Amino acid sequence: MQTFKKMFDNFLNAIVKISSTKALVALKDGFVLTMPITLIGSLFLLLANLPINGYGKFMENTFGANWNIGLNQVAGATFDILALITVIGIAYFYAKNENEDGISSAIIALVSFLVISASSTATESGELVGGVIPKTWTGAQGVITAIIIGLISGAVFTYFVKKKITIKMPKGVPDGVANSFAALIPGLVIILGSMIVYQVIKISFDSTLTELIFKGLQIPLQNLSDSFVGGLVITLLISLLFWAGLHGPNIVMGVMAPILTANAVANNTLLQSGKLSVAEGAHIMTPQVIDNFVKFGGTGITLGLLIAALIAAKSNQMKSISKLSVVPGIFNINEPVIFGLPIVYNPFMLVPFILVPIMGLIITYGAIAIGILTPFTGVQIPWTTPPIISGFILGGFSGAIIQAIILVLSVLIYLPFMKKQDKVLVENEAKSAELIS
Amino acid sequence: MRKIILMCNAGMSTSILVGKVREAAKNMGYDCTIDAYPVNEAEERAKDADIVLLGPQVRFEQKRIQAKLDCPVSIIDMAAYGMVNGKKVLEDIKKELGD
Repeated sequence: MQTFKKMFDNFLNAIVKISSTKALVALKDGFVLTMPITLIGSLFLLLANLPINGYGKFMENTFGANWNIGLNQVAGATFDILALITVIGIAYFYAKNENEDGISSAIIALVSFLVISASSTATESGELVGGVIPKTWTGAQGVITAIIIGLISGAVFTYFVKKKITIKMPKGVPDGVANSFAALIPGLVIILGSMIVYQVIKISFDSTLTELIFKGLQIPLQNLSDSFVGGLVITLLISLLFWAGLHGPNIVMGVMAPILTANAVANNTLLQSGKLSVAEGAHIMTPQVIDNFVKFGGTGITLGLLIAALIAAKSNQMKSISKLSVVPGIFNINEPVIFGLPIVYNPFMLVPFILVPIMGLIITYGAIAIGILTPFTGVQIPWTTPPIISGFILGGFSGAIIQAIILVLSVLIYLPFMKKQDKVLVENEAKSAELIS
Repeated sequence: MRKIILMCNAGMSTSILVGKVREAAKNMGYDCTIDAYPVNEAEERAKDADIVLLGPQVRFEQKRIQAKLDCPVSIIDMAAYGMVNGKKVLEDIKKELGD
């Protein structure tokens, strides 16, 4: 037991150490910038593709064949520049977290990303059109490249500025002017490096770095994350970390969000061509599976525990904590029950806290795999949206029903463990009452 | 007047606590402002704060946040956080600040 505890502590320390490295902090902070854009894009994408039979036909008959061009234009200007926002955000925060000029770092990284990416696109007949920035590579398919470029460019920029390898201005020159000169040398180095990479890859492989990384790294990563085992590892880690009192979703999704988002946005393309199914190659594991089906009501689906406690708890502590926690729980916030019951390092709660989300994953993954639930797309909703409502918006009636089933099962799984804990609490309360009297 | 900032991952769960701490401050007649924000807004929000308190679930951010701020950055007691015990949290704050 002692050695096990030591191993677990080492494991936690390692995870915390890794997730607080400069690179991962910049990745987490930077990718968050894409959230408002994808949420807004989602709204327009949702309106263009409501999950109701006959909706498209109805709109076409009412408003004409062009009814959705505006909606699709917005979806195209949000999801399709996911990589651009990512590269800007990561390079910005890399420099800013080191107290350097974030904007200059971001602009240089953006230019670097454009230098190493394609600047021409082929028409259907194979004719090359130059002088464009193809959205193929500025959207989800360029995300991993954007992360790599954002980190390297941000790191090089910060290194140069910190080491004062910059053009120095005499005293009295305004800060803004001095800053614009400070960015010149690091910018030149980064962009020259990007140019060399572009030219070498173009000449030797007739390709671009963005395309090579997409094929060689991003697709394997996406496939790995898309497997059931991938989903299981994500789910397990989130629960285990929160059981140790650490914000699991923050740590795990900080790394996984870009990849899972790329899965979801790849599904958009299938949605728009009307072929959104697993058989056509749609991805199953998307952020919505984790956020809205595996950890609704808070990590561990503790909403189930609260309902079980409201039904059957006898101890004062269990009763008061469940009353206190149930409203935040409906909005997927569960810190009160995690730290108040507590669930943290509580041996009674370890098993259900891990088991329930896995149950949620198995049901959701299975439902998507056999086609009961349509794979999720770029349509995302704020994580505080209550269950059943979130299921309905994301997956229509099947989505709502599947969430309801998971919720009922989570109550049933938590119930015996809650009772065991409750019994201990009742005994303790009786003991302390005796002491007082 | 003291400026107290609570921070967690998204500023959501600490915002539940904020109301209770404000209530406790009112009852004790303690002159302060108390607000909750996401932990990645530390620099903007807490530059002139007297104390920053982190939710226990983001305690691994303590070192990083402390490096950016001059005021003390401490972790909220787990039990007080879970039970939304505003009084206990405020008492800890007063002790830390020596008020």
